[in-house]
Amino acid sequence: MSLAGFVLRRLLWTIPLVLLVMLATYALLRGAGGSPFTPPEGYIGVPETYERFLRDFYHLDEPWLVEFGHYVKNVFTFDFGPSLVQRNLTVDDVVEGAAPITLQLVLLAAAWSIPLGIATGLVAAANRNGVVDRLLTSTATVLLVVPVFFVAYVAGRYVAREWHLVELGWESWETRLAASLVLALAPIGYVARLVRAAVVEELVEDYVRTARAKGLTQSRILWLHVLRNSLTPFLSAAVPLLALLVTGAFFVEDAFGIPGASSFYVEAARTRDTPVLLGVTVVLAVFVIVANALADIALALLDPRVLERR
Amino acid sequence: MSRIRVLAGNRAVLVAMLVLAALAAYCLAWPALSPHDANGVDLDRSRQGPSWEHPLGTDQLGRDLLARLAAGGRTTFLIAGGALAVILAIGTLYGTLAGLAGGRVDDALMRLVDGLLAIPRLPIAIVILVVLSVHAQTIAAMAFALSIASWMLTARLVRGEVRALKQKQFVVAARASGASWTRIARRHVLPNTAGTILIAVFLELPAVILGEAFLSVLGLGPNPPTATWGNIAQGGLQFFRLWEMLLATIAITVFVLAANVVADGLHDALDPRRAE
Repeated sequence: MSLAGFVLRRLLWTIPLVLLVMLATYALLRGAGGSPFTPPEGYIGVPETYERFLRDFYHLDEPWLVEFGHYVKNVFTFDFGPSLVQRNLTVDDVVEGAAPITLQLVLLAAAWSIPLGIATGLVAAANRNGVVDRLLTSTATVLLVVPVFFVAYVAGRYVAREWHLVELGWESWETRLAASLVLALAPIGYVARLVRAAVVEELVEDYVRTARAKGLTQSRILWLHVLRNSLTPFLSAAVPLLALLVTGAFFVEDAFGIPGASSFYVEAARTRDTPVLLGVTVVLAVFVIVANALADIALALLDPRVLERR
Repeated sequence: MSRIRVLAGNRAVLVAMLVLAALAAYCLAWPALSPHDANGVDLDRSRQGPSWEHPLGTDQLGRDLLARLAAGGRTTFLIAGGALAVILAIGTLYGTLAGLAGGRVDDALMRLVDGLLAIPRLPIAIVILVVLSVHAQTIAAMAFALSIASWMLTARLVRGEVRALKQKQFVVAARASGASWTRIARRHVLPNTAGTILIAVFLELPAVILGEAFLSVLGLGPNPPTATWGNIAQGGLQFFRLWEMLLATIAITVFVLAANVVADGLHDALDPRRAE
């Protein structure tokens, strides 16, 4: 299969996947039964006239597949509809206002974690079993295993709230850098461990010996030849990496008072605000599915054997 | 026998198992032995540091944290145990079906698993929680939500093992002698996947325990006064107290690390190539 064909196919496949996630989430949330207008304890339902408007807007009195059809049509014209619980909130506010902030946070954290993780892994592997390796590898392990809610809480409390080194929110660049670095810590540990293992395996290959015999310097061999071949396992691990970033974003946003999508998501879960839950889920699914497609394409560029296997 | 010897010869695994056993014993036994009730509110003793009376101090409502951490561990283990049971049931059934069916069915089933694995677990669990519970978060709802978010890896592991077993001569022989596929699955394939399932248990156990903590810290955990490790951390967050956050984090991290070491050791012991 040609590379262009593979790229096109992989990108086109994202559309049915996103639709499938939407359908599954929709079916689950609507199939759960109960009226969406019964408020949970401690919350007040919407007034009857407004309920009438919402019922009409979401076509709630029709069969749920028809309802779903209208929903998909609305989403594809970027009209996510109003919230069922909060009178002055539309899902478009969340999708257009809050979700991009979360996206920026996650992408910034990825921008930290990938180069830092790769460098840490390479340096550790180059000094394998030495003091530097032990130090870096154990640091990476600690970064990976300490739960993100603890790291986020400590950083948010001391760096932002008590020492006032950065402001709360998403306005200043200092906050953006600090929050994304905190979010990047666990992924750095993850990438570093992955790259170290791959490089250590790669270093005993014949081509490394040949390169050394030819008189190439150690750093040239490492950064040019070995690194390229060691990126394959890292790119195949895009899924767990994304999971670390997305999960961490919930806690980092809370700790630094960042007005991202996660607080809307949790609040919507608590109040059973299905349109908000659906809207954020759709955005999340698009992001994850596109990111995975891009990782697959990068993998095919680095390792052409991937194309043969399909 | 040799497998057990490999496992026993691995000092790290032994230590990790001891740590897990000690943690489990503390959580299961201490609530009965403790002089303090895990839910006993005493507002005169709010937010105390460690003392002889309360070795780990007290929380916002003056509840003894040593007792609460044990009771919390109990609930967390209960949630994790329930989730694991469902994970193993779905994962084994799905994996065996895909592995034995092979061909297109296998392709389709595994595509679905790959797709589901791509979505982070936390949002899946949150959606399932919303679907399950109308008002209150219960322990059963938590366990079920976590298992629906996490059965896929087990299914994939079991399917790989079943596919390998399907090629083995004893399965071919059983088939040739007229045994039905259900009989082959029950008698010849499933008993041989025990090792894989054991690995899956120790791989998923830390993930489920972390999942409980994530959900609870976000405020979606079992309703108060139920203690779980995640709820204790959430109390620290809510009442601005690093100490409680730290206690819950230590308990969770120690457990997760020990379970990871055991999973690694099991992998070495059960995979003959790695053992040599």
